[in-house]
Amino acid sequence: MTRSLSFFPILLLLLSAVVGSLQIGSDLSLSRQLAIVTGTQAEEFADIMFSYAQLPRLVMALMVGAMLGLVGSLMQQLTQNALTSPLTLGTSSGAWLALIIVNVWFPELVGDHSALAAMAGAMLSLFLVIFIAGPKNMTGLPLVLSGMVVNILLGSVASAIILLNAEYAKNVFIWGAGDLTQNGWESVQWLLPRLSVSFLLLVFAPRILTLMRLGHQGAAARGLNVVPAFIVLMAVGLWLVAASITAVGVISFIGLLTPNIARALGARTPRVELTMSALLGSLLLVVTDAAAQLLSQLTVDAIPSGTTAAAIGAPALLWFSRRKMKAQDQVSIKLPPSRDRLAALSLPALMLLVAGILCLTAVFVTDGHNWHVALPTAYQWELRWPRMLTALSAGVGLAIAGTVLQRLIYNPLASPDILGISAGATFALVGASVFLGMNIFAVGSALAFAGSMLVLAVLLILGRRHQFAPSSLILIGIALTALIDALVQFALAKGTQDSYSILTWLAGSTYRVTEGKAIFLFIGVATLLAFTLATSRWLTLISAGRQFAAARGLNVQLCSALLLGAVALLCALVTATMGPVAFVGLLAPHMAVMLGAKQAREQLIVASLVGAAVMLIADWVGQTVLFPAQIAAGTLVSVIGGSYFLFLLIRGRSR
Amino acid sequence: MAPMTRMSKGVALAACLFSGQVFADITVTDSRGEHTLAEPPQRVVVLNWDLAEQVLELDVTPVGMPNISGYQEWVVQPAVPAGVADIGTRTEPNLEKIAELKPDLILAASPQKDLIPRLEALAPVLYYETYSQSLNSAEAAIANFRQLATVFNQQALAEQKLTAMSERFAELKSQLNQAFNGESPSVVAMRFANQTSVYIYGQNSTTNYALEQLGLTPAMPLPATEWGIVQKRLTDLQKAGSSYVLYFRPFNEEKQLQRSVIWNAMPFVRARHVNSVASVWNYGGAMSIRYIAEAMADSLFEIAPNQDVVASVKGGQD
Repeated sequence: MTRSLSFFPILLLLLSAVVGSLQIGSDLSLSRQLAIVTGTQAEEFADIMFSYAQLPRLVMALMVGAMLGLVGSLMQQLTQNALTSPLTLGTSSGAWLALIIVNVWFPELVGDHSALAAMAGAMLSLFLVIFIAGPKNMTGLPLVLSGMVVNILLGSVASAIILLNAEYAKNVFIWGAGDLTQNGWESVQWLLPRLSVSFLLLVFAPRILTLMRLGHQGAAARGLNVVPAFIVLMAVGLWLVAASITAVGVISFIGLLTPNIARALGARTPRVELTMSALLGSLLLVVTDAAAQLLSQLTVDAIPSGTTAAAIGAPALLWFSRRKMKAQDQVSIKLPPSRDRLAALSLPALMLLVAGILCLTAVFVTDGHNWHVALPTAYQWELRWPRMLTALSAGVGLAIAGTVLQRLIYNPLASPDILGISAGATFALVGASVFLGMNIFAVGSALAFAGSMLVLAVLLILGRRHQFAPSSLILIGIALTALIDALVQFALAKGTQDSYSILTWLAGSTYRVTEGKAIFLFIGVATLLAFTLATSRWLTLISAGRQFAAARGLNVQLCSALLLGAVALLCALVTATMGPVAFVGLLAPHMAVMLGAKQAREQLIVASLVGAAVMLIADWVGQTVLFPAQIAAGTLVSVIGGSYFLFLLIRGRSR
Repeated sequence: MAPMTRMSKGVALAACLFSGQVFADITVTDSRGEHTLAEPPQRVVVLNWDLAEQVLELDVTPVGMPNISGYQEWVVQPAVPAGVADIGTRTEPNLEKIAELKPDLILAASPQKDLIPRLEALAPVLYYETYSQSLNSAEAAIANFRQLATVFNQQALAEQKLTAMSERFAELKSQLNQAFNGESPSVVAMRFANQTSVYIYGQNSTTNYALEQLGLTPAMPLPATEWGIVQKRLTDLQKAGSSYVLYFRPFNEEKQLQRSVIWNAMPFVRARHVNSVASVWNYGGAMSIRYIAEAMADSLFEIAPNQDVVASVKGGQD
């Protein structure tokens, strides 16, 4: 009963969306359109436009939407995790990196082999994600996390390549923005046979998925060979997604969103969920694509479909997360073996290390061929100290933010960048640049702070409902990161030289930091460091448990709010000064624990020193390794931190 | 040290007197207003490709410029003489490297605008804006060319090159007019982003200016934008009708495009009014307009209706 009840309106909606979207930008009457669809030969140019541009575009939207929905549902059922989707598994960033590499270094292959490259990149990154998370962890957060980390890692490598080879990468930008425009049936013909395996999926998957709902042991008891079945289904899903995004580019959210909508509409059995997700996926993509076409007619610039998908998808995802969109929360991450307590010499040694790096970066220079040690001239010093001070302060700031956050929400994976707090600041600044035409280097920290605070407010409101469960927090991070991505890709697709300013800023470089800004950041971070050190007792008590803290007379609500405010402030300060910097907030607190700093106060100090050292080294390497060109510190930190994070996840897997 | 300095100053002064020159402040203009330079600059660092091109056209060899290998790939002409130092990327020029080159003048464009205060600690900075929504890029490039000529005392060369450019425009215009049997074709100048999207050059672009100088009319006039381009869908090109459509190389998906039904149904493709244009840098200085115009004219000659005229024109040239 429920089945027929809920399917009919969706089909009706889909039909009206299909007919409606065909009316956008078409001069043909409905009857003429119908005649062409039913076989009348196209004659006029308007006819050809309709049958070779609009129809294939519509078919493409229907196909790709259905695939994204279907595979999203498959993955979520397989992993029993409402956060899994092609978007969160790093597929698009793998394809993106592969395409950038082909365009920059092998432009002669672009015409014939970009599809192959994108496909290979997508598949490889997916296998990487699955390898990292490990077959045993498919149902938990590690899968989502490793996807996000691979996303950040590959994305920052791709950005670095673009920044150093700006002119070459231009043709990929439109693909990156997700564009359904067709100029014939060729892409449809390319994609269609590759999607044919989806029918096998619809026939065989439901039975296997039903068994898997019993749990792996239950399924095995009923005679299902769980691991091979899992791998085969996953591989088929990955193949479908990789083929789809190769054809149309990055279209986020649909795969993540539709299964959740399907379940909210009452899809109970695996088969119903799969079919309904596919239908909803088609519907969503046709609608968002129609919105993109409409907007393109209203504005001078062509609006890519991926942009509208993200603009609609991100808020929808957040809205859904109010409901029970829970992933299994056990995060099987174990920190590498750590010392029981801080060795007596650790602290002085670390301080010496930071001081040593400071001296080293001040005097050790290159001219592109040779290395030499020389005291900086007055002008060199004037250039170097703001950068050094910025790297130092940013490292300290993010380390404190990470430490506080990890202790507050009892999660060693909490990091300001994964939770989207830094992303909030980035979003505000990129938005100001894209929509208001402001120079991104000139936009102030007030705006960045507003962005961070907004995300923090959302986190607090949503988080309290779920007792700060990591899944709902990470979800906000995912939604925001993807939204920013879509915005950035939209800006890039305009093809102007401004795109590079935004990319340069996003790379997280100390290059443009002026003396005044560096000092401002330093004072801000120093103040907040003092604040967190002064209140380290709160952290100690809260780490022991909220009830325990309350029993000791602590106003837990107020203290948490104050500490979270400090975290947002730190992220906003750093992001506004040098752009987004990922992973330091995660890495530094872990290192501190490994060194034996287990008390709140100790951890804050040691993490600060580690963070400072990492940032200083990254900044210095970035300035010297490709001299006279430079790589942003943020990019290098992403690579270092991303690799560390992957190492952690792989370790956790073997447990 | 002191006597040496005095002596060398004396020599310099003598040399000046001898050559009849007198030390006088040079007044120059840039996009911010008037500036005074104490001496004619000898060691110039340019921070953007369009300015590097302008300076090289004025027979001045800079001591440093950004991303030389990229320039050689994309801007191509005029060639960069050996010995020019690379100073890193255009968005993040290496300030330490610039300082090491001991410039006595730095030339910056809009991507480096926010760096001017820091650059001024090294040497006087002149700032030339060419690409902006409120500017006609070609007029700005030509005005900047003249202003730079004043800086390097090359006014005569600049005027000579500008006159030669105008004459070349006039020559090409009349040849095109003959080749098109006295008609003035309307043209869309664009670049492919991929097989389905194109960047069309708008009304304030140097490319559009080159079209006008050739006596051609833009078939799809587009509003002024900062970089002079607007991204459009391939299907929007149907509005060009049977005008002439020129697309700049490089475009790596030419073969795939030939197979597209939509592309082949475009009125201008059916009428064979479409051709590619040799790659040129569309964000260059004054002389780049000449290269753009010549490249577009060459492309139009290949598809012009009166090939007899074209043959005689080409024969006359060689």
